[in-house]
Formats: sequence, C-alpha cells, structure tokens
Amino acid sequence: MAVIQLKNVTKYYGQHAAVDNLSMNVEQGQIVGLLGPNGSGKTTTIRLINGVISPDAGSINVLGLDPATDGDRVRAKSGVLTESAGLYEGMTAKDNLKFFAALYGLKYVEERIEQLLEDFGLADAQDKLVGAYSTGMKKRLGIARALLHKPEILFLDEPTNGLDPEGSRSLLNYIRRLNEEKGVTILICTHLLKQVQDLCHSFVFIDQGRFLEQGTLIELEDKYLGAVKVEVETPLDVNEANFPDFPVIDQRPGYLVFQVQDKEQIPQLLAAVLAKAPVYSGNILGRDLEALYFKIRGEQDE
Amino acid sequence: MNKQAIWAVAKKDMLAIKESIQIWLPILILPIVFCLVLPAGLILAIKYFGNAGNVDQIISLLEQLPPGSIRDSILQWDEQNLQILYFFLVYLFAPFFLMIPVMISSVVAASSFVGEKERKTLESLLYTPIDIASLFWGKLLSAFIPAIGLTLISALGYMLVVNILSYDLFGQFIFPQANWLVLIFWVVPTVSLFAIFLNVYVSARVKGFQEAYQLGGLVILPIIALFVSQMAGIMFFSSLVLGALGFIMLVVDLFLVYKTTKDFDRNRLFMSQVK
Repeated sequence: MAVIQLKNVTKYYGQHAAVDNLSMNVEQGQIVGLLGPNGSGKTTTIRLINGVISPDAGSINVLGLDPATDGDRVRAKSGVLTESAGLYEGMTAKDNLKFFAALYGLKYVEERIEQLLEDFGLADAQDKLVGAYSTGMKKRLGIARALLHKPEILFLDEPTNGLDPEGSRSLLNYIRRLNEEKGVTILICTHLLKQVQDLCHSFVFIDQGRFLEQGTLIELEDKYLGAVKVEVETPLDVNEANFPDFPVIDQRPGYLVFQVQDKEQIPQLLAAVLAKAPVYSGNILGRDLEALYFKIRGEQDE
Repeated sequence: MNKQAIWAVAKKDMLAIKESIQIWLPILILPIVFCLVLPAGLILAIKYFGNAGNVDQIISLLEQLPPGSIRDSILQWDEQNLQILYFFLVYLFAPFFLMIPVMISSVVAASSFVGEKERKTLESLLYTPIDIASLFWGKLLSAFIPAIGLTLISALGYMLVVNILSYDLFGQFIFPQANWLVLIFWVVPTVSLFAIFLNVYVSARVKGFQEAYQLGGLVILPIIALFVSQMAGIMFFSSLVLGALGFIMLVVDLFLVYKTTKDFDRNRLFMSQVK
C-alpha cells in the first residue's frame, strides 16, 4: 500500500519550477532514498508532502489525506528532521522536547522524553543549552523531536550531514531499527549514496525537480547495468584467458576483469575459468548505487 | 485554535525575552525612568527648591485652559507651584504610560516571526500540526502579557511614589484618578494590541529583525507622536475621550484580527520566511 503518492506535482518558486511534474510513490513500511544533487527539489518535495507549502499543480495523497487541505492531520502523523535541525539554541534539550510536545498536543510526556533522550545518548546533556551542543548531538535531538509523537512516516533531510563516521553509523542503525521494530515508513533525502545503499529498500532519483527513476537496487541494476564487468580472483595467466565471449578488459596481479553481456552469463564465465585454474572470488564491478546514479542521470541527459 | 499550543508558544517567547539584552534593556529602562526618576525628581525639586526651573510657558498654558473639569482640578490648588506639579503628575506624564506598552509590545512582537526565522526554527515550527491562528495568538500573547504586566506595575509604582512623595504638599493622596483607570485598563490594552498586530504583521513579511523593528517603528512613531501631542494638549484627557479612543482602537484591533488571520496561511508564511 502506498502511504505517499505524488501525481504530476509542480511547485514554482517565482519563475523557477523547484518541483516539475513529479510523480512518485512510497510504500508503507519501506525505507526510501530520495536521491538527487543539491537543488534537485528533495527538500521542496518533503515540504509539499507535509503541506507546509501547496503545489501549483498535481495532487498529493499522504495516508489517505490531502496535505494541502488537511495538513494538520498529516503533520500529526509525520515527523520531519530538517537539514538545520531547527531547535531553539537558547533552551535546554529537555525544554525543546517539552515545547514541541505541546505543539503536537501531547500530554504526560515526561516518560516519553526521558526515553528518547536515553535512546539518543543525550540523557546526560538534557539540561544543557542546545546552543552548546555539537552538530551530531543537535541532529540526534532533532530526530528525537521528530519522533516525539510516534509518527507513522519519518522524513529525514540530509540526516548525516556534518556527522562523523561513528555518528553516521549509529544514526543509520537507529533508523533501520526504527523501521524494523516499529514499522515506520522512512523517506531519506541525501546525496551520500554509499551511506544509504544498504539501508534503503528502494530509491527515487530526481533532478531539477523532475522524476528520473524509481526502483529497488536489483530492479535498477537489471535495467541499467547492461554489459557487466566481472573481476575474478584467479592465478590464471592473461594469455590463457582467451575466451571469445568474455574478453579480458583489465588485469592486475592475481585478478582478471572480464566483460560479459549480462549477469546470466557469469556462471559460464566462472566455469570456463575454473576449467583452467582455481577461482578464489568473483565480483561484479560498478554495481554500487553511485555507479547506477551516474548511469541513470547520464541516460536521462541523452 | 489550540490552547495548549498557544500557551506553549507564548511561554517560550516570553522566556526568550530574558535571553536577549537587546530586548529587555529598553523594556526595563523606560518604565524606571518614566515612573520613578522623572516624577520623583520633579516632586523633590518643587519640595526643596520651590520651583521646577523655567515655568513661565507652563503657567501661561494653564491660564489659557478652557473652562471645565480639567481646569477646575488644576486650579483647586492655591499655590502656582502645586498647580504646575499637579498638571505634570496627573496630565503631562500620563502619555508615558501609553508609550511603555507600545514600546514593549513593538520590540517583542517585531522579533517574533523574524526571530524564529533567524534562528531557523520557523521551519520546524510549521512542520508541527499547530494551526497558523494559534501560532499568531501565541506570538501575540507573548508581547501582550509583558507589555500589560509591566505597564500595570509601572503605573502602580508611579502612583505609589507620587502619593508618598507629594502627600505633604497636597495634603492628600492624588491617585488613583478615574481618567487614569480608564487609560490603564482600557486604552493601554487596546493600543498595545494595535501595536502588536502591526508589528507581527510587519515582521511576518520582512527579512530581518532590524528591518522589522524599523518598519514597525515607522508605523508606530507617528501614532505615538499624535497621541503625545494631543495628550500634552490635555484637552482630550478626559475619561469620556479616553473611553472613545479605546473603543476606536478596539474596532481597529478587531479589523486587524480579521485581516491577519485571513491574510496568513502556512504556504504564504513559509514561502516568504523560509529559504
């Protein structure tokens, strides 16, 4: 079931279309990566979905509601971490959470706030002013704030921006757990493709406000990978690796890189190599999200 | 409308006033000067030196007063010094207590939306399910409560100081007076609301605090000048005229409530304030 549906949505900032005829779906319980370069319309898309700005054309449906007319009900079910975290620096972490809890109309929130501060490792710093927090702490508090009212959908705009590798990893792990244990649907905007490659169930690519592609990693591979480069770890000499269907296109000591027409041919290639020498490992090159991203963008440009 | 949210916003903004010296310094200096230093200085000068400097102009002004209750109330004192003192304390200082709430509410209200914008918090605020009307009322209260509260305290302090220091001159307590009660409890709230609305309206449409403050000031200053000049003329400082003035302000306030809630929707606020 799609909990977020956009149909031909357009939004202008002045003369410039920040989102241009965009259609996309997000299925319930999924972690979806919304990917695109800076200025591609990711943040605007989140704003439209949450009804804080209204589309100039097209329709949006979130949990069965139209955010342009029923925005407060949509926002009561969604949590957003904005890029700047949007916290009051002159207030303590605890007071920030109490304030936002009141805006969500929550009552008896003490326990919930304690729990969130605990979960995000902020319990010791809860009475410090947020202005004295590090970037990582602010991000964590921002997510805690976004989760106060137990939202069904969570929007994370560049959640790992400004975080160190440890901070990023623990944040991404928390996001994964939140999705697995609570079934929260999560939309992540980012341009750090490597970080979300293994986290997201599927990806939506946009550029200049326009939809480029949507799918799981496997689906996108099948569609865009085309001719496959396979790196085989084998002591086989390059002169003996004369397979007419699988030309050697690169080599380094202990490794040969073959080109095959598609993934289905890989077993045949491996069998052919095995007939002459041992094979220790085989690896498809250029199958990561980043390579796909450039392929997809490149193809759209042509 | 959401009472819990309105109060949360108002409380947060009032606590934030404390944090900013730019805001609370004028808020404190103004009432202290107007309601303590000036009247005390004047009373003590007349008490111990017999006069308050060059008063010829004031005397001629008093002599030109048209017949009526104001003239009578001043001329009930035999000594010229007491006439002048009474004129200052009861009539000339009164507009200060209109300026105090207008100043406070302008400073606080000017920083309301612009402050959220500059702290980059408006975006996360608009992502919560608070309706815009509640947000406006919260902002409004956060300026209204300190403005009214400080004006009340200042007025009480003023009357107390004046009564105590001038008792032996007049032989009686000269406060409270009916027109003052009308001023404090009827004109001050309605005029404060007017100043707040204008400032909230302006600050929700401009880019920075400075600009909001200046624009707000531009709107407010001519109004203050008008009030002060008319009040200083004291012809109008009767309970009846004050009552009418408060009523007019109330009508204007209601119009501004209607206009503000109609003009601002989330989309508009977001597009103009969030980058």
